[in-house]
Amino acid sequence: MKKVITGNYAVSYGAMVSRSQVIAAYPITPQTQIVELLSEFCADGLLDAKFIKVESEHSAMASCIGASATGARAFTATSAHGLALMHELLHWAALGRLPIVLANVNRAMGPGWSIWTDQNDSLSQRDTGWLQFYCESNQEILDTIIQGFKISEQILLPTMLVLDAFFLSHTSEPVDIPDIEVVDTYLPKYNATYRLSTENPYAFGGLTGPDHYFEIRYKMQETMDQAIEIARQADEEFERIFGRSHGLIERYYSDDAELILVVSGSIASTTRDVVDQLRSEGRNVGMLKVRMFRPFPRQEFRNAVRRAKKVAVIDRNICVGFGGIFYQEITSTMYGHRDDLPIFGFIAGLGGRDVTPNVIHEIVTHAETHDTPDTEIIWIGVKR
Amino acid sequence: MKKRKYPKDEIITFKSANEMPPLAVSLGSMRWNKTGSWRYIRPIYENKTPPCDEACPAGEDVEGVQYLCEQGKFEDAWKLILEEHPFPGVQGRVCYHPCEEACNRGHYDEAISIHAVERFVGDYGLNHGLIPPRLSQERGHKKSEKIAIIGAGPAGLVCAYHLARMGYTPLVLEAHPVPGGILRVGIPSYRLPKDILEAEIEHIIKMGVDIQTDSRVDRDLLLKDLKDFNAIYVATGAHESRNLNVPGEDASGVMSGLQFLIDLNLGKKIAIGKKVAVIGGGNTAMDTARSVLRLGSEVVVVYRRSRAEMPAIPAEVEEAEHEGIPIHFLATPIRVITDQERVVQMECVKMELGEPDESGRRRPVPVEGSNFIMDVETVFTAIGESPQLSFLTEDIQTEWGSIVVSDHGETSKKGIFAGGDAVDQPRTVAHAIGSGKVAAIAIDTFLRGKDTAKIAASVQIGQKGSVSMERYLRGEIRYNASKVVRFEDINLAYFEHKDRVDLPRADIEKAKQSFVEVNSGLPESAVTTESGRCFNCGVCNMCENCWVFCPDISISRKTDAFGYDIDYDHCKGCGICVEECPREAMSLEEEQK
Repeated sequence: MKKVITGNYAVSYGAMVSRSQVIAAYPITPQTQIVELLSEFCADGLLDAKFIKVESEHSAMASCIGASATGARAFTATSAHGLALMHELLHWAALGRLPIVLANVNRAMGPGWSIWTDQNDSLSQRDTGWLQFYCESNQEILDTIIQGFKISEQILLPTMLVLDAFFLSHTSEPVDIPDIEVVDTYLPKYNATYRLSTENPYAFGGLTGPDHYFEIRYKMQETMDQAIEIARQADEEFERIFGRSHGLIERYYSDDAELILVVSGSIASTTRDVVDQLRSEGRNVGMLKVRMFRPFPRQEFRNAVRRAKKVAVIDRNICVGFGGIFYQEITSTMYGHRDDLPIFGFIAGLGGRDVTPNVIHEIVTHAETHDTPDTEIIWIGVKR
Repeated sequence: MKKRKYPKDEIITFKSANEMPPLAVSLGSMRWNKTGSWRYIRPIYENKTPPCDEACPAGEDVEGVQYLCEQGKFEDAWKLILEEHPFPGVQGRVCYHPCEEACNRGHYDEAISIHAVERFVGDYGLNHGLIPPRLSQERGHKKSEKIAIIGAGPAGLVCAYHLARMGYTPLVLEAHPVPGGILRVGIPSYRLPKDILEAEIEHIIKMGVDIQTDSRVDRDLLLKDLKDFNAIYVATGAHESRNLNVPGEDASGVMSGLQFLIDLNLGKKIAIGKKVAVIGGGNTAMDTARSVLRLGSEVVVVYRRSRAEMPAIPAEVEEAEHEGIPIHFLATPIRVITDQERVVQMECVKMELGEPDESGRRRPVPVEGSNFIMDVETVFTAIGESPQLSFLTEDIQTEWGSIVVSDHGETSKKGIFAGGDAVDQPRTVAHAIGSGKVAAIAIDTFLRGKDTAKIAASVQIGQKGSVSMERYLRGEIRYNASKVVRFEDINLAYFEHKDRVDLPRADIEKAKQSFVEVNSGLPESAVTTESGRCFNCGVCNMCENCWVFCPDISISRKTDAFGYDIDYDHCKGCGICVEECPREAMSLEEEQK
């Protein structure tokens, strides 16, 4: 069934058709509508889930952890400061190997108080052990929730999907909401290997000495490595059933491009248009959309830029003291592989400032007119 | 779901990551990790003394009685009291119940109706023909030493009761024709029915105590007949009324209040006038006035201080007033006026309160020119009683008219012990009972050649001198007796406010016309409800809070007995059990390292 819905509602529908069993969430702009609609689903009996009202995001994630430990499918959504408040428990969920799915609406961290989008909130959680997917459209949002549970429940690591505040969260698009019975065929009931139960009781998260902690981390990384292939398979299977896929890194006119723009989130839609226009002008420009950020599909990325002459990374975030975070990832991914490839790091659109086609044009022109970057950070649109 | 396959208490060490689960999950037990070593304070699971127990001069396990009554275990409650003394029916009626004053619940809403509960338990025992608890053959085997007890009042009888339980055959000598002392001849039957007292004394006689009535002991008898007794306990009470020391006192209409009560209780005919004054503010004065009222005369009480200084039990004063007896405060007689040797009037003077005297109460001072005259035909004096000690030999030291005794009831003469009203202690039945117990312990330890002081110290309840006979005889050290639980120690979150159940008020018009008992007792349902209000200060009743709240599963229920065990190998000393124990049966101690 197709519906014209916002990104937030796409999240709610995604959680519903995935048959989430426990939802614990605390409202925060711009995520609130997600929780509202889910609570209505629960109240109206459209979703057979326990909806837990909590007093903070910390408790929301704690509740999800408890629920997931019993073997229930647990879902939550948050944004910015809410996600930051969850930080401790994000580690807990990952190290506890709990396949929770979380939707984070990208919102700039305050102060100055902002409700508009940028990626620093979710990227600050990069090292917690969660899978991260950055979504371009409302359809992708819904699909990624279903895929998120599918992947997480196989590898026992939690998934965070990310959508831009307002550009996606509050913007309506046509979205195909799959029949729940069809989703059932893709996403079977979660069967936890280790779970809280009275018949065969286990304690979780107990003291783990130096004899074993190291190996727990090792196994986590091992799983993350496998997660790339599992996510790819999940996407392929999704395509077979639902007729669409999103890829881990989407290539758009990139195979023969001299200049490849590397983007994520809703900027990809704008970039897509600009690439179309540039191609019609005969300019050899392509795009890579990084959808899967954690684990980072390094080999896939290297393959995608094999023939490129230049790479321009657009970051709607900044690791203060270093530069764009995607830029970091990509330079580090390429180190020792294509030392001849100039990688430009652009910072744009922080705190929800529009990244318009003109901004993309400016970035392309800059990259085209420079053989190598003058600086590690290239600021676009900053009022200096 | 995988089943456990690892040994419970061993550390599991995996050789490779492949063998390991992906997360920290308890495949084995964590008991190898002795987290108790992190502790710097430790919880101590130890019963303590509730304030009611400490306050009870008779040394009753007051809290224990409430605990049993709440569960309807009235037989056990009766036996628990009988471990300490044989008079629950009596004490449930005449005790001044300082336990209720001390009750921590009084700071929360109202004290438990301990007094009324005791009466119910006492009556339950009598109505069901219960038999006092026996000691083991080992503890209670027959003993040959001869013990004489002079005076069959509460002190003497309680001493005899315990000595009989221990296997002795004490001889009790009583001057009056009936046993019971002041309980029998002093307290009117509307307060303490004779059948209750007699039934409880019967328990003592059945244990083999020989009570010889009409046997007043004089010095001759003491020196000759009691010469070869191994121990003598003097509990002769205080029966000599103090004089008013005013002109006209010798007139025939001026009499001792106590003597009046004795005569009344022994069934003698007493002629009294239509208008009667009772002088004094103690229990004898109240008993005399209320008895006079029941004989049909008009009565007024004259007391030289104010209500606050009255030594009588407040409830007795209240009931006297309730029955319509006027109390003339701050007045004292200065002259009894006679006409042809008959009392016709009494001249009094008004008083005011000055500086506190040696008793701590404010001294009454006459107000000059405030004299007034009252028409009276009979005057009863009830301004205090003293022991009659002329039968004692000089080697038994006395002071201010009382026998001098140690904390253990030993007189200055070896083998002679004394207690009750004959020694310097508060003149209450509860204190008399307490001193009877102290003496029984002292006599037993003396005859068995043991260290009286050391043993007496080990059976103290709290700090006010009460002793536990149960602990002495059964040797159970159940708790930290010296620590008395305060109101601040109670976790009030676990208690709801609830009204106290009081004794039903009697029909006064009917009551004041006869010597039938004024107050009826509580019904059984009220007793269980009332006992259920008890905080059970300091005494574990297995509410399970500690067990439920312990985050380290370091508290377990004992498998073979009442109570809990603390696993100090793993208890981290977080103190949650102590905080959540409603009644301070758990407390914290600094770790000695």
